[in-house]
Amino acid sequence: MSIETLQSSPSSGSLYLKAALGMTPLARGRGKDVPQRTLQLENIAVDSAKLADYCRVTEFTMRDTLPPIYPNTLAFPLHMKVLTAGDFPFPAIGLVHVENTITQHRPVKTDERLTLSVRATPIAPHAKGRQFTMITEVSVGDELVQVAESTYLKRGGGDKNTAAQRPEGAGAPGELPQIAEWKLPGDLGRRYASVSGDRNPIHMYDLTAKAFGFPRAIAHGMWTKARCLAALDNRRPDAFKVHVAFRRPVLLPAKVAFAVAERGDDADQSGLDFAVRDVKKGTPHLDGTLRPL
Amino acid sequence: MAAKSASARDVWVIGGNRIPFARSNGPYSHASNQDMFTAAVDGLVERYGLEGQRVGDFAGGAVLKFARELNLSREVVLGSKLAPETPAFDVGQACGTGLEAAILIANKIALGQIDSGIAGGTDTTSDAPIELNEDLRKILMDANRQKSVGGQLKTLLPRLRPGMIKPEIPVNREARTGLSMGEHTAITAAEWDITREAQDELTFHSHKNLAAAYERGWQEDLITPYLGVEVDGNMRADTTLEKLAKLKPVFGDRETGTMTAANSTPLSDGASAVLMGTEEWAKERGLTPRARFVDAETAAVDYIVKQEGLLLAPAYAVPRMLKRNGLTLQDFDFYEIHEAFAAQVLATLKAWEDEAFCKQRLGLDEPLGSIDRSKLNVYGGSLAAAHPFAATGGRIIANLAKMLEEKGSGRGLISICAAGGQGVVAILER
Repeated sequence: MSIETLQSSPSSGSLYLKAALGMTPLARGRGKDVPQRTLQLENIAVDSAKLADYCRVTEFTMRDTLPPIYPNTLAFPLHMKVLTAGDFPFPAIGLVHVENTITQHRPVKTDERLTLSVRATPIAPHAKGRQFTMITEVSVGDELVQVAESTYLKRGGGDKNTAAQRPEGAGAPGELPQIAEWKLPGDLGRRYASVSGDRNPIHMYDLTAKAFGFPRAIAHGMWTKARCLAALDNRRPDAFKVHVAFRRPVLLPAKVAFAVAERGDDADQSGLDFAVRDVKKGTPHLDGTLRPL
Repeated sequence: MAAKSASARDVWVIGGNRIPFARSNGPYSHASNQDMFTAAVDGLVERYGLEGQRVGDFAGGAVLKFARELNLSREVVLGSKLAPETPAFDVGQACGTGLEAAILIANKIALGQIDSGIAGGTDTTSDAPIELNEDLRKILMDANRQKSVGGQLKTLLPRLRPGMIKPEIPVNREARTGLSMGEHTAITAAEWDITREAQDELTFHSHKNLAAAYERGWQEDLITPYLGVEVDGNMRADTTLEKLAKLKPVFGDRETGTMTAANSTPLSDGASAVLMGTEEWAKERGLTPRARFVDAETAAVDYIVKQEGLLLAPAYAVPRMLKRNGLTLQDFDFYEIHEAFAAQVLATLKAWEDEAFCKQRLGLDEPLGSIDRSKLNVYGGSLAAAHPFAATGGRIIANLAKMLEEKGSGRGLISICAAGGQGVVAILER
């Protein structure tokens, strides 16, 4: 596997242009499987003004350690570069982010220099299509401090024999007690886009979302996950694994319910289960589990 | 004269934590009061193993805060690693906020209402609350009282003016005199004949003492880094009396004035917190208490009609507290006098030496006398560390408690002046 170290973070604007072009018949030469290469950014310093903006939109307290989901956000341009590469088997736009897991071995200090490396796993069958996982490794020097796994689904041509995967340990939707109601404003997608760089048109405006088959703009899955983690920020250990499955998209503006329950104290059972669902209908948007490592 | 209650329990300062203080619009520009206070508290929680623990009460505050931060301390607790069952309340007494919060926690412990508590404060001048223009605010409130949309528009539209876009920015100005704190202190400096040289010398020692404390690693169990900052940003370890002498006056007469940007504290950002409790509570957790919080006093002066020095209220508070405790001003091993301005520290010391002031104003038979200057702010003061208003009390208490622990036994005086002509003072012992 080849490793390509980039000199600077790619601009997500031009990558979206490339992603849009990737949807046209002009695109050709797609590979059969995910290209096995790793993209890497080194010596990444966190800009505290940008971090503060991110914290305001996701409601994290700005601590001396980074929100655990933030390094994954810093790696977003690398994800886009992988997805928009000419030999990538699928067009980037139209992929559905179905699961995200972050394993944090230790908290990352705001002034640590990070190395981010991103690669995609080979295509695997899925009941509703084909899937692959983008793996982001976050290191400080030679120490691996965090691994983020984002699983994407390309709908169509699914293998019915593949059982739909249930996230490990998640309770059935609706079982968890609701603890809060969050009001998500109509411009949330644009606000999160400006702090994360993820300007996918499905999140920006109703009109641009309609072009991709959504009735209205939808919230970023990673915003929803970040908001959940912000709510649990002081209730988790330093080393942990947090898994979420994204269910139905959150159409903006929205009022959603946040549900959470603490699990028992048994070593292999402890942690938190959480969920985001529609306040009125109970439609599941996100199911998550947080476990100590 | 109030008398000390014989049945009160001993209250101990177990330790403290703060984030390094930073100059305004510097590295903490984008951090909120809540962010900084939470960082300071979580550092304290980590140092003293309080994760998931409920402490008896939590008192804190900020001088400059948003209306939405009305429950700031409780929100800090809920965002910290303390047990969410820890109650909290906000305190506000201008620059006396941090020490007053500690007094309130100490009193509850002394009375047996709680066995442990945390007191602290935070302030940012970089992320300060800016309010709506007052005229606009009134119109909006009038419109809000209208029942129909039509009525609201009729109230709003004819009265709106482009100039109303100009917001109200918080200013460091006494409401009843229209003078800033620096301008008030310039008057005090002239009245007490506090020289430029004396002010610069105090400033010089503040920086040198703080720099020496860092050099020795003395701050290591008092500070946790925040946003990559490890040392107080205002500290100038290499400053000299010559450099200080070159600065132009910023308060009072711009030619003959004595107060400069160096011998006055700058606007700054930061937060601090102090853990207090009974000896038993500390011992049950394997913690070693550092010093007893013995007594405290608050005083206020009429700086308006009687034209007392705005920042000289501690000069009144200290003798009252000394009398109650049967002490003289010389019975201390350490003096921690908050350096809002070098001139205010020096005027306070001079007032205690002044026979006329002590007899006529303080009603004493003789002057309180001089202090041994080598015992004053020996690990630096606010002129070097800077002064994020409500965070200063916690810095001083934690420092003094550690100094007394190191000395083994002794007594320290804390004196903090505050806006509105107030002074908050306390005694720590070991």
